[in-house]
Formats: sequence, C-alpha cells, structure tokens
Amino acid sequence: MNGTRGYHSGLVDLASGLISREIFVNEEIYAQEQERVFARSWLFVGHESQIPNPGDFFASRMGEESVILCRDRAGAVHVFLNSCRHRGMKVCRYDDGNTTVFTCPYHGWSYGTDGALVGVPFFREAYHSELDRAKYGLVEVAQLCCYKGTVWACWDAAAPPFLEHLGEFSRFLDLILDGWDGREGQAELLGGVQKWIIPCNWKWPAENFSGDTYHNISHRSVDLVGAGPSGRSRRDYSELSASRRLHVAIPDRGHQTITYVLPRDHQPQPAYQNSPEVAEYFRHCEEERRRRPGANSRLIGAPGEIFPNVALLPRQPRTLAVWHPVSAHQTEVWRFFFVDRDAPRAVKNFLRDYYIRYSGPAGMTEQDDMENWNYAHAASRGVIARRYPYTYEMGMGHAVADYEWEGLRMPGRVVDLTKAQASEEPMRNLYRRWAQFMEADSWDELATWRREAAREGLAAQ
Amino acid sequence: MSGIVNVRDLAVGTRVMLGSGAEVEIVSNPKDGVWLFARYLSSADDAALVGQEDMIFAQDVVEVRS
Repeated sequence: MNGTRGYHSGLVDLASGLISREIFVNEEIYAQEQERVFARSWLFVGHESQIPNPGDFFASRMGEESVILCRDRAGAVHVFLNSCRHRGMKVCRYDDGNTTVFTCPYHGWSYGTDGALVGVPFFREAYHSELDRAKYGLVEVAQLCCYKGTVWACWDAAAPPFLEHLGEFSRFLDLILDGWDGREGQAELLGGVQKWIIPCNWKWPAENFSGDTYHNISHRSVDLVGAGPSGRSRRDYSELSASRRLHVAIPDRGHQTITYVLPRDHQPQPAYQNSPEVAEYFRHCEEERRRRPGANSRLIGAPGEIFPNVALLPRQPRTLAVWHPVSAHQTEVWRFFFVDRDAPRAVKNFLRDYYIRYSGPAGMTEQDDMENWNYAHAASRGVIARRYPYTYEMGMGHAVADYEWEGLRMPGRVVDLTKAQASEEPMRNLYRRWAQFMEADSWDELATWRREAAREGLAAQ
Repeated sequence: MSGIVNVRDLAVGTRVMLGSGAEVEIVSNPKDGVWLFARYLSSADDAALVGQEDMIFAQDVVEVRS
C-alpha cells in the first residue's frame, strides 16, 4: 500500500472508476477497517423475536467483536461486549438461551442480564471488599436502536441516531420488516440463523448485494432448474415486464439497492404456484398491500446493502445477511430468514423450503455467488494481480437525482435499468462511503448531511 | 468419590455450610456450576449477614446439610 495516496484519489478513484485490489486483500487496510468502519458504524445485531422473554440472550457479533444481545429481567434490551472485565474470557459461550447471570468460567466473575457485575469470588476475603464493582460491569454499546423488531447497535456515541443513519433508505428495509400485506413491523425470524465461513474479504458479498445485476449469468443454472416457488426460474418476477427497474443509491449514507416500481393500478400477478394455499395467501396479501396508503405499495424489493455489512433481500427469499469480517481473507456469513408472524404454518413451511434451497450455505444461488467471490479473492492476492485495479466504470455519469415515475419519487441517485440492464452506481456508492469512513477522523466529517442542512438553514435566515 | 459438592445439583431450599462456617439456604440456582443465590442462616464471622441474600461461590460450599 502506498501511504502517500489517499483512499479517494488512489485506492478508490471514483473519478476514473478504478478501485485497487489492495482494499480487498491488504491486511493493513483490513486492520484499519476494524477501527474506522466497524467501531464507528451502526451494525445489525439480531431480532427481538430471538429474545422474547426476560433473561433470553443471543450471542452475536459486531465486526470482529463477540457481543451478547439480551433482555434483562426488567424487559430492557441490551448489547454487551462478550468479554469479562477481569481477564477478557467470554462470559457467554452458547449461541442462545436463557439465564439469570453470565458467569465467566475462568475466575468466576458473574454479571446480571443488565450487565452489572454481581459476583466476584472471594470479594470479602481476597479483595477485602475494596473492589468497586460498579466500575466493572460488562461493556455496553454506546447506542442501541430497536427498529420494527430488528436490533442495531453502535460503539460510537458520536454517531447519529440509527434512523438518521438510515435516512430515506428506511423504506427499503421496511419491505422486509413490514407484513407482506403492508402492516407495519410484522416480520419474525424463521428458524435459526445460518452461519458459515467463506474465504474472501467481506466487501465481496457487500458489493454483490449492493445491486449487481450484471452477474445474473452466473445463476443461469438455478434459473434453468426452476428452483423458484412456482417451479420456473429462481423467483416469481412476472411484474417486472410492467415495472421500472432501478438502482437507488443514497450517496451520503452509503446504502444502495435494486428496486422495482410498479405502475399505478397494477394488479397482483400469479406467484407461489407450487402450492395453492401459499399462492392464495400471497394473492390476498398483495391485494391488501395495494389498498394501503404509502409509497411502498408500489415497490418490489430486491437485493440491497445497508452500509457497511448488512444485505437486504426483501422478497424471494426474504432475508437479511450480515458479512462479519474475520480477516482480510475470511468472512463469516450470518443469514436471517423472515416470514409474517401470523402467516399460516403451511406458508411458513413452504417458505422455509424455498429459502434454504435458494440462500445459505446449501442454497443453490448463494453457492453460485460464493464461487465467484472466493475465486475472485484468491486470484487477486498475488503481487502481480494486485497491480491491476478493478474497473467500476459501468454507467458513470448516468445517475440522476429527483427520479420520479408515475408520481412516485425515489430518493438519492437513481439509474434506470429498464433498458440499461446494469450499472455500477451502487458499487461506486458503497466504496465512496467506505473511503469516507477510512479517511474521516470524526462523525463531524462523516455526517455530511448535517453540514448541508446547517448551510441551508443559514442561507434561509 | 470426590467430596466436592456439585452445586449444579443443589435444589432450592437446600442448606449448605460455607468455608467460613456460616450456613446458608439456597433461594435460586442458575446451574452454571459457579454460583448459588442463598440466604444466610448463621454466620459466626459476621452476624450482620444473617437474613441477607448473597451470591455464594461454588468453592465456598464445603458441606450439604439437608
């Protein structure tokens, strides 16, 4: 890595559309990411349906850190660093469960579900009752937000609140978290969390899920097999012929997605034809969704990414993935699947089968993706390979602001893919924000929208 | 067979003696093998503890009384 070059002008050169392979394979850059990106960003931790009762916990991750998501005895949700304050041992070594205390197996220090240090062996005898136990509770995140059941946390007290961080991208996350019929916040987790390790940098899947429509050819076999819920292609997308297909990128936040905008007065199309009961459920939901006021009734969700490492797939399958960094060359993937909590059992069972044949380590489509990421990463590590940057020039200069179609306005910068098929605007958006995080010393620099709002306020005075 | 008490097996209401000679009654057991929640029934070293609830470390339990 050439230390004289900035991330913008050198490693991430958005003026020319070139990005160095170093940001994927360089271990020094990876180490910097942990401090500058993961220690400062809002990160997805889990879902409240995983911890419904007092004492419930789920061992999660934030970047490389092990954390505990738990509900204390009073019902409050917490996220703690899973590390004893005495010698750092994990105080929780289970994936999930229910407990009254988290006890360190090394020397026996014990913490309540509210994080307080409640048990110190030989406190009277060895410490002579002199240890200030109030100073040594579990380390708690600086900020936490429960949004429609999802739990997000941030180590940086200076970061803006979660919903400000999401900005206008919230409507795309809502496509997963709201009910399929449009009711607010109806999602629940289906089954457990699928976890596996892949041999590539975390930014490979983050980039792919930002909205790479260009790689569809690599899923050709899944389309040919007809893995979708109607036995054809891999999804039911008959609405697409009538829709506008868009890339939407929120430049100052680093979030981006593919989305499909339905025309006004569009009628539900047949879907989930492998099961009459499931088909009827979704037909009813689609009709209900169209009756509800709000912009999302005309949106169909598609892959997207919330900066830095959370991927959306709102429909077919309906899932969130988290790309946990393990090293420059390894990523631990956690995939969470969602259904409407009051959907009939037959619908949930049907969706479980479809979800896991599509996504996850055994999912056919995700296997295609992993092959691409893993081999691309491996082929980029050598000293010769590193000399040649990747090109992200596709569609440069073709994004527009204030995009609107049939009365529905889209936020951010938009590329209409209906004819273009593909662009790399979402990837440029991801790496622009990544570079900002790597360069900025504080959230004063990163919250650019606040400066603009302040300027506009001054101008209006 | 070891004379060490396996605190995971102790039910609520069980009385145990501690290394200090104090006697406590278990009020809850998180079954983590490390801690018990108990109420002091007697304590020669510190009479003020009697009646108080405290966390009892497994290594402090030397004998099961009932």
